[in-house]
Amino acid sequence: MMLQQYRLDNTILKATDALKLLQSERAIIETDGNTLAVPILLDNQRKGYMFHGHAKLLLDTIVETKEGAMGNSVEKEINEPFLMLGDTEEIQQHLSAADKENLTAMGYKDEQEFIAKAEDLLQKLSRRGKIWHHHCCDDNYGTMFAFSNEAGKLDILVADDSRLTYKAMDRVFIANKRKVVLKTPNEMVLSSNCKSLIIRKRHF
Amino acid sequence: MSDEMKEEIKKLREELASLKEQLMDVTEQKKSRGIYIDIGNNVRHYVEDVMESINEGIHGELERCILIGPRGMKIIRKGEPNREEEHVVEANFSKVSEVMSALGQEHRLKILGELIRGGKYINELQEKLTEITSSTLSSHLKVLEEAGLVVQEKVRGRYLITMPGRVAYKMALRITGFVERGSQE
Repeated sequence: MMLQQYRLDNTILKATDALKLLQSERAIIETDGNTLAVPILLDNQRKGYMFHGHAKLLLDTIVETKEGAMGNSVEKEINEPFLMLGDTEEIQQHLSAADKENLTAMGYKDEQEFIAKAEDLLQKLSRRGKIWHHHCCDDNYGTMFAFSNEAGKLDILVADDSRLTYKAMDRVFIANKRKVVLKTPNEMVLSSNCKSLIIRKRHF
Repeated sequence: MSDEMKEEIKKLREELASLKEQLMDVTEQKKSRGIYIDIGNNVRHYVEDVMESINEGIHGELERCILIGPRGMKIIRKGEPNREEEHVVEANFSKVSEVMSALGQEHRLKILGELIRGGKYINELQEKLTEITSSTLSSHLKVLEEAGLVVQEKVRGRYLITMPGRVAYKMALRITGFVERGSQE
């Protein structure tokens, strides 16, 4: 079943307080209070949210090898709308109806403008055609986030307590408890059980 | 019908039977191995020759280009500048000086010495470097981070020595070792 079956709700909500959307071993995503949110529905059930507010992403895309650590951390302010698919129950408790003031504070004339922007992001994700609802909304697969990047494409993060997959413009990072893979434009590092393989483009 | 013609028809029948058998063989091979194309012996020999020469070429290139040293393997591409030339052309002395000055402080070297044994949180480092205050420790870590010798995990907060940090630390110890031995001689 493809992402096209997801649709946006008409209700615009706002966060009543700061929300920690994700906290795992390697990643944290949090938003400020008053962040706007619109629920994403699948068969009339909330499967996620489209957020727009002042959010922060912290992500350790670092691989430890015997030769030293490789990679770095991602620390990003997210001021553009972003999407989250996953467990919504806890977040739901921290959301209430948004008013016009909240929309104006985020630079929207009215609800329709926000919905249109959110729909645009959902469309962009569905065009990727890579996300299946049973993967990203099943608890076993953790939570999925999609952020717009500078190139107008999407950075994707899928994470749960111990596993993480991050695909951005400049890197791909995959980690679980025992194995880590980092691919950047110049190098690729694979680390598993204290053994590591490093492939570099030019420098040795 | 003359005997000659009968003989001719018999031969033609035999040929037809033989062709049918060949056709059956080809069909069987098609079923079992996908597409079967009989390219004839000449073409086959030609392709074998070409493949053999390609093999020899690859073998020769590999022998020339792959150097296996104690730190691993390097594949040198044709036309790639050698490392010494590269360093002369691309040396960024301001960066070199930044890295060297990051190394040129006793406590920073001690921090690298601790991190080379494994990643540590700031309180663990503080326990090892009791002679400096926590703010001094933080500023040393910032210098090391800016020079690319140390990296901090933003989520967990642990500090890790980077690959260049490890090389720089070992290099500093080796140079010091050489200098000390030189002054004794």
